[in-house]
Amino acid sequence: MEQMQTVRESVKRTETAALEISGLRARVEGKEILKGIDLVVRQGEVHALMGPNGSGKSTLANVLMGRPGYELTAGQVLFRGQDITGLSADRRAQLGLFLAFQYPTEIPGVSVVNFLRSAYNAVKSEQISALAFRKRLKEKMNMLGVEDAMVNRYVNQGFSGGEKKKNEVLQLAVLEPEIAILDETDSGLDIDSLKAVATGIQQLIGPNLGVLLITHYQRMLNYITPDHIHVMMDGRIVSSGGPELAHELEKKGYEGLRKELGEG
Amino acid sequence: MAAVTTSTGFDEATLRRLLERGGAPDGVRERAFEQFQAMPMPSPETEEWRYTDLRDFDLSSFLPSAEEPFAENLDGVAPELLEAAGEIGERSGLSIQHNSTLVTAHLDPEARARGVTFTSLDDAVTTHPDLLEERLHHAVPTVRTRFTAMHGAFRTGGTFVHVPAGVDVRFPLQALTYVDADALAVFPHTLVVLEEGSSLTFIDRYVSPDLERVFSNAVVELFAGPGSRLRYVALQEWGSGVTHLSVQRAHVERDAEVRSLAVAFGASLARSEAETILLGDGGSSEMLGVYFGRSDQHFDHRSIQDHVGSRTSSDLLYKGALRGQARAIYSGNVIIRQGAHQCDAYQTNRNILLSERAKADSIPNLEILSNDPVRCGHAASVGPVDEDTLFYIRSRGIPEAEAQRLVVTGFFQEVLDRVTLQEVRGSLEATIATELEREASERLSGRGAEAHAV
Ligand SMILES: Nc1ncnc2c1ncn2[C@@H]1O[C@H](COP(=O)(O)OP(=O)(O)OP(=O)(O)O)[C@@H](O)[C@H]1O
Ligand SMILES: [Mg+2]
Repeated sequence: MEQMQTVRESVKRTETAALEISGLRARVEGKEILKGIDLVVRQGEVHALMGPNGSGKSTLANVLMGRPGYELTAGQVLFRGQDITGLSADRRAQLGLFLAFQYPTEIPGVSVVNFLRSAYNAVKSEQISALAFRKRLKEKMNMLGVEDAMVNRYVNQGFSGGEKKKNEVLQLAVLEPEIAILDETDSGLDIDSLKAVATGIQQLIGPNLGVLLITHYQRMLNYITPDHIHVMMDGRIVSSGGPELAHELEKKGYEGLRKELGEG
Repeated sequence: MAAVTTSTGFDEATLRRLLERGGAPDGVRERAFEQFQAMPMPSPETEEWRYTDLRDFDLSSFLPSAEEPFAENLDGVAPELLEAAGEIGERSGLSIQHNSTLVTAHLDPEARARGVTFTSLDDAVTTHPDLLEERLHHAVPTVRTRFTAMHGAFRTGGTFVHVPAGVDVRFPLQALTYVDADALAVFPHTLVVLEEGSSLTFIDRYVSPDLERVFSNAVVELFAGPGSRLRYVALQEWGSGVTHLSVQRAHVERDAEVRSLAVAFGASLARSEAETILLGDGGSSEMLGVYFGRSDQHFDHRSIQDHVGSRTSSDLLYKGALRGQARAIYSGNVIIRQGAHQCDAYQTNRNILLSERAKADSIPNLEILSNDPVRCGHAASVGPVDEDTLFYIRSRGIPEAEAQRLVVTGFFQEVLDRVTLQEVRGSLEATIATELEREASERLSGRGAEAHAV
């Protein structure tokens, strides 16, 4: 753990910022949900984003990934210095952005392995053979403890909550993005699955990956120590700090923090 | 090419000429001709014909027949016909109808030695007179509509299969109907009789180049004797310009199993009725359907799952995709008769619309007259590709056109997974992939044109 931290620290200084969000405001169905977000996530960093239900965390994740139906009213999102707000989701993914969904979607009739191979080819601009891809996939599966049967099933169809989240992490591992947004990848998991998923993510974290980890739970942060913690309330980041902020929150709750901020 | 035909239409002179040639048990053609003359064109005011209006369909504009030379065996068949028959892997027999003539019917000698008959209907009238008397037009009576009456009176060609009790026909039998004579009316007829405990796979394939105007008036009669197993596949791959009306009806006796697959890719207008009547106790039926419409194609699918016997089961799954201005109607009926106990029936129809101008309707209907069905239900849907699914796929770097292709391929996979014939499945996959490629390239060029206009 200690060692990994130092590696990341050293990289931070040499790498340029990867994802820069400034003054971001967005509306959904005419209602303003994001009310001015400023956040920078660099390759090699882990940022945790916490906040009460409905505060806008998933909205931010979706806006960053370019989901249709979200209206940007102000601000910008730079990725490697380029404004990506006008780009389609597939272009963003090709540039190196990834979103692990809070509620992954089913793709009936399309197997995980075929889906992932298409995605791999699109993101890497390759035409990898089915055999070569199987081999690559197998390595990642072994690392994450994913069963063979899962990748032959249709994407998320009939998957348990835990299997869906594992599948998101498998995709993350195969596609090797530079910045990944993980939206509650730890929710809906039993203790063993949480451990498997968290250690999987932990292994992927390194100098080439920046993570925005959306979570409600300290238990995830026991496995993955974030460099920064941000608290979102009502569409704004109201507080940022180091790992200690999570413990503070655990004690006070969001109500406590809200009061403190209100007073301060 | 077609020999010169002297016929002028669907009249008494043509009837007389056909009567001289035979091809039907005594009195059948005459009775059907009377019905044909007496019956009006089906009216769109009836529920059955509400979605396909043929009142202006001019029967007199079609030639009643175009005869082709017979072939001694497959070596004597024109290569383009054999190519159209397609690769279906190993088969126990192949019959080819070219325009109005069944030019050849080849049956594997091993199957013949075991008593299997695979021949033209014309020949069967002399070789199996009693069977034809009993079966021909008994599943689909000529009096059903003006079109079936016309079929009964003017049919030429047609295929007959008889499998004796206890015989398993190892590989599929295939019947190709190939038309390349414009303005022709053809009357494909398939009559399959399985005796007790026998089994067979039969594939009908309808193929033509794009034509000005052709009328295909088809009838398929399937008789599955007690404990028999029949797999029946209809691949409708007509070229454009063809109007295809077909009625398929299966009689399923005690403990028999009939699994059918109806594929519709071709024709300008295709109205296909597929019906299964589960007569004996313990019979079962599976009905699968796949259709993919483009430009201004019109598909009208109608189905009936009729449970007469107890402990009978039926499951229907029809799935279709539509692009361009294609139009599809699915209308299905499940009937559980009084006295049919502990039946299990399900019906599913799903449509995916790939363009805003494509349109589909799905009309399911249940008629339950028994009070103890195990299960009886239906599901239907019509809609565009799901936005959330598209976004999920695109968020993995896959561009829109390919994402769409994945979704639609996956949509059909549920049916394809149930198609056990490897070659049929492969051919379906290939056709679906081709349609989707065309869709993608048309989209691109359409978009290009729009961009240009701006
Ligand atoms: N498509 C939508 N249509 C209407 N309202 C929406 C839509 N998406 C989000 N919202 C609203 O935006 C607000 C923020 O939702 P969001 O899902 O971003 O919250 P969250 O912080 O991720 O919550 P949770 O912790 O429960 O996942 C909520 O009030 C939600 O109802
Ligand atoms: Mg959320």
